[in-house]
Parts: sequence; structure tokens; C-alpha cells
Amino acid sequence: MNKIIKKDQLAAVLDSIAAKYQLIAPVQDESTVLFKPGVAGKDVVLDAVNSTVSPKGAFFPQWETMYIYNTAEADFAIKYPEEGPDRVLFGIRPCDMMALLHIDPVFIGSKFGDYYYETKRNKTTIIGVSCAKVAHTCFCSTFGGSPTGNKGADIMFYDLGDKYAVEVITDKGKAVADLFSKFLVDDTGAPAEVEAKAKELASLLKPVDVTGVKEIMDGAFENPYWKELSRKCLNCGVCTFICPTCHCFDVVDEAYMCDGQRVRCWDTCMAKDFNLAAGGHNTRPTKLEKVRNRFMHKLKYHLDRYNLAGCVGCGRCSQKCPVNLDITQVISDVKAVK
Amino acid sequence: MKKITEALKAEARKLLESNAVDLVIAYEQGSDLVHLTPLFANTPEKVDRISYNPFAVNNLGKYLLDYAPGEAKIGVVVKGCDSRALNRLIQDNCIPRERIVVIAVPCSGQLDPEKVLAKVDPRAELIEVIEQGDNYVLKTSAGDVTLNKKEFSREKCLTCETPVPVLSDITVGEVKGEGKANDYAAVKQLEALSPAEKNTFWEKYFSRCIRCNACRNVCSACNCRECVFDMMEPYWVSKKTSLSDNTVFHLTRAMHVAGRCVDCGECDRVCPMDIPLRKLNQKVLKDVKELFGSPTPGSSAEAEIALGRYNPDDPEEFM
Repeated sequence: MNKIIKKDQLAAVLDSIAAKYQLIAPVQDESTVLFKPGVAGKDVVLDAVNSTVSPKGAFFPQWETMYIYNTAEADFAIKYPEEGPDRVLFGIRPCDMMALLHIDPVFIGSKFGDYYYETKRNKTTIIGVSCAKVAHTCFCSTFGGSPTGNKGADIMFYDLGDKYAVEVITDKGKAVADLFSKFLVDDTGAPAEVEAKAKELASLLKPVDVTGVKEIMDGAFENPYWKELSRKCLNCGVCTFICPTCHCFDVVDEAYMCDGQRVRCWDTCMAKDFNLAAGGHNTRPTKLEKVRNRFMHKLKYHLDRYNLAGCVGCGRCSQKCPVNLDITQVISDVKAVK
Repeated sequence: MKKITEALKAEARKLLESNAVDLVIAYEQGSDLVHLTPLFANTPEKVDRISYNPFAVNNLGKYLLDYAPGEAKIGVVVKGCDSRALNRLIQDNCIPRERIVVIAVPCSGQLDPEKVLAKVDPRAELIEVIEQGDNYVLKTSAGDVTLNKKEFSREKCLTCETPVPVLSDITVGEVKGEGKANDYAAVKQLEALSPAEKNTFWEKYFSRCIRCNACRNVCSACNCRECVFDMMEPYWVSKKTSLSDNTVFHLTRAMHVAGRCVDCGECDRVCPMDIPLRKLNQKVLKDVKELFGSPTPGSSAEAEIALGRYNPDDPEEFM
């Protein structure tokens, strides 16, 4: 961490990476900030607190073709997509890196590993960038995160105003860091500056206490609170689509004549057909079941299954919910209703 | 604005205690200073939570659809723009007029939370909002902030047609200000572009869409029991967020709400990707006005409905 990069060198650093890897990084598109592949160093924007949509799409895209087929050919002539290039995901914030660690066990390491997610994960080196500022909706510390956290990073850039302190964490990271080593400058004061910045930012986070919430949620399934809360929900999918940990998907076949493709798309527990089964039965038919499921998943089910929180406190849903149905409010409400 | 809040509480309490309604849909303080959130008051205790200020952005009329099945009588707080949605829902027989008690609040314009965020401490407590001529003064626990209405209003409020609700059973607050006829300046600018330029303009936005359906779900004109975008059989529109599928989504929606879009601007407000949906819907509004000579849908209970009635003497030449 006692090496730094001057901010005015950042575009050159990123271009040196992009010469060998596909660079995925945040770019500005009017009022939105989105992670895009194949960007040039000069277009990368790190001014926003965070991207409009989380960068989970780099591993779990909103839609992807799983394979193509032709029903007229022997064995349907199934063709799988190519693996794609080695990639560097740059500019991901600590909360979103933590989110990847929290959804990894859904796709990797279980009896049914997910080829698509795992391949992209293995082929990607992650360069995290610590937060320069926090929004009033940020509450990552609630789930053990920090605006300067490096969990999940192969290389970590710590924002220190006009420079980044650089920490190379893994071997994978070292291979990428070698590409820009000529831009690194010694700065023995950097670690102390990072520590001061960490303290300053942590003090600005929204204080949200989840102590005991899991235990309350364990017994809260039938609580009338969910019905009252769900009245205002519109059942749109904003919260789930911009969320860094939501990972539900749907698989559909799209065919024209004999040619078809199997497509995986993001799904949302807010959707009408999310729990629709053959025969027409829907196990979560109304706002009540849908809203309860979202918060049970965030604050209980994910913990039950993986002992990991289903929320990382990025605050996106609090900001963008059309009706201000705010998870931090739910957390404090739940403690009161038990 | 404190007066309006207190009057709303008093009216809601009266309605609930006299069993005139089963539920009052209003606003309460949200999770930060710049947000109110919908409140569903079905007991006099919940009435105490009612709040009203220029952050009352939601069009609560949409929620009437949730209570349309059954017999419940519903009190609903509306601003001018939202009130048009009520008329339109009644005209479409979505809910009978007799089951709604309209609590009308004449509106002096809503503040844009995004713009205001830059000027206030969002975690401070909002004590009161005072209207002073061209300004709103926000009294907060972190000090007073004066906001010029023109500068900090939501864009739609600058060209408001009906600051006073177009239908009302109970009116709360003073009636002031008159509506302006919309000059559709933004639409005219777009109309002046070449087809290729228009295509570039909309492709940029449609390709950004994440198909979260917020625009559809917040829309009072979207009241189909089964939506074409939810259907799997036939699978009309792919769940893929390709430019082609996104374009079908937005253009279908724009055409489908023609004659029913009341220009409340909620689609534009809720879009997480900031797609200027109101520009798209205003083009349709403008065309409907020009082609059918009808006012903005919902402006009056009596006005002829464009595209909503069958008429054997339709003047359309090819029929």
C-alpha cells in the first residue's frame, strides 16, 4: 500500500491494462453511470458514489445466450458460446465486491456449478476502487463492509484525493499490476492516509443496526406487517435489477423455425410470472408474498443457506424505489413489530 | 403546509370514524428529508402519520386499482395532475365514482428530490415547509433552506395544466394559481429532427432500458388485467434487453396508453435509467389532441374520450 499512482496517470494506467485485457469499467451516460466492456482509459468515470446498476452484470449479465440449436440437425447441433477474453473489472466499489463474494456460492462450488458465471469469474481480475465519498443512503458497515474495504479485490486502489494508493493482493492481481508498474511511485505516507480516510468515511455512513433482525425474521413470516408494508409496493423490478446481490433468473427458449437459442435473463420476485407454475398456480400471487419474499431473502434466507447477508448496504434500492420503500426503514420497523 | 397536513388528518379521521370510507390513501414522511411515501390509513391511529409537503410526488390514483375488486370505499389524496387519472379510471369503469372520496389538494408545484438533495442535509429532520411567493422555505433540524420554485421544481410542474384538482369531494388548502396550456416545446424540438436523428435519439435511451417495468407499474393508464409484456404464451416480447425488444416495449406502451395517458409524468420520474419517457408520451398526447380535438385525458369527466369509444358514424374515411 506504500505505492501510489497519480490520478492524472490513471487513463494511461488503464490503457496499459486494456492493451492486454478487456477492460470493464464505469462510464458516464448523461445522468447514469454504467459498467461497460471495452472502454478506453480516458472515458472511465469514478466521480459517482456508485454505478446506477451494480456491476454484477459482468458475471451474470441481464441476458445471455446459453447455447444455440437447430432442431433439424442431428442431436440438435448444440453450440455453446465462446469463453470470451481475459478481463479486468476496474472501478468496482467495496460494497459491490462484497456482493460478488455473497453470491459466489449460489453459482460456484455447489453440486450444480454454473459454467457461465464461473467461467467469467475465473477469467476476470478485479481492481476495486475505494469510495471517495458516501451517499446518505450508504450503510455498508451494517453488513461488515467499509468504504475502503478490499475484500474480493485482486488489486485495490485507495482514493486519496489526487492520487490512489495501490495494494496488490493476489497473484492474479500481480500479473495485471506488472503491466502498469512503471506508473507506481513510492509513498510511505499512503497507508496512514488510507487509514484516516477510512475513519472519516465510516463516520458518514447511515447507522443501521441489524442485530437480532435475523432472529425476528425467523418468526415473522405471518406477521401482519408485511401486508401493510406491501400496499405501497408497485411490484416493479427496480430494486431487484439494480441490486448487486439479487441473482434470480429465468430461462427461455427463443426459436424461429428450426433455429433457436436458450437464453438466461434476470428475473425478479416482483414479476407476475415469477412463481407461476404449470397449471396456473402461483405460490406468490400478490404484493404481500412478493414483498415479504424480497426482504426475507435479504435478511433471512440467504443467511440460512450460506451464512452470508443478502444485502451489502449499497443503498441503490433506497435511492431508486419509486415509492420510497426503503430497506433501512424495513430493518428498523421489523425490530419494532416483533 | 402544516395547515394542509393538519386539515388532511382531520378530514381523514372524520371519513374513517364516520365509516364513510374504509381506507384513506395519503402520504407520510419517507426515509429521508426529500421523500414522502404513500400511507394507507385504515385506522384513526394511522391518520396521525399523515404528512403533506412539496415532496408528495406519487400519483396515488394508481392504487385505486388494487382496491377495485370488492366493495371498499376509498378516500384518496390527489394533486391536480393526479386527479386527471381518477377521471380517466372512472371513465374506463375501473372503479365506480361512488366508491371514491376525492380529497383534493391544490398544488403549487412539487420539488425535485434530486435537485433539493444538493442543498440540504438529507438526514436532518424536516420540521415544516413554508410557501413564500416564489419560494419554498424548508425548516429543518439542520437550519432553514430557501428554494426557488422555478429552479427546484420538477420539470413537469413548470407547465402544469391543472394545479387545482379537476374533481373533488373535499378540498384542502387554498385554491391559487391557474393552469397553463402545454405548448409541447420539447416535443416540437424532437419533431423537427430528421427520421435518422430521431432514431439516434431514442436508440440511445431505449438501449439503456433495463425493463424493470417501473414505468408500466406506476402508470394509471396501464390497467390491463393481463399485460402483453407479462405473457409467455404467446411470447410477444422477449425478456432480452436487446435494443429491438426494448424498442417494441416502449413504442407499444406509448401507443397503448394513447388517449388514457393523463400526463402525470410518473413514468419519467420513476425510470432508474433516466429515459425521458414523458417526451415520448407527450408526442402521443399532442397527436391525440390534434387529431381528435380532445383535451388532455382526464381533464373533465364529461369530455369525449379519444380512442376509447365505438362510434358507428366514425368520420375516418377508410372505415
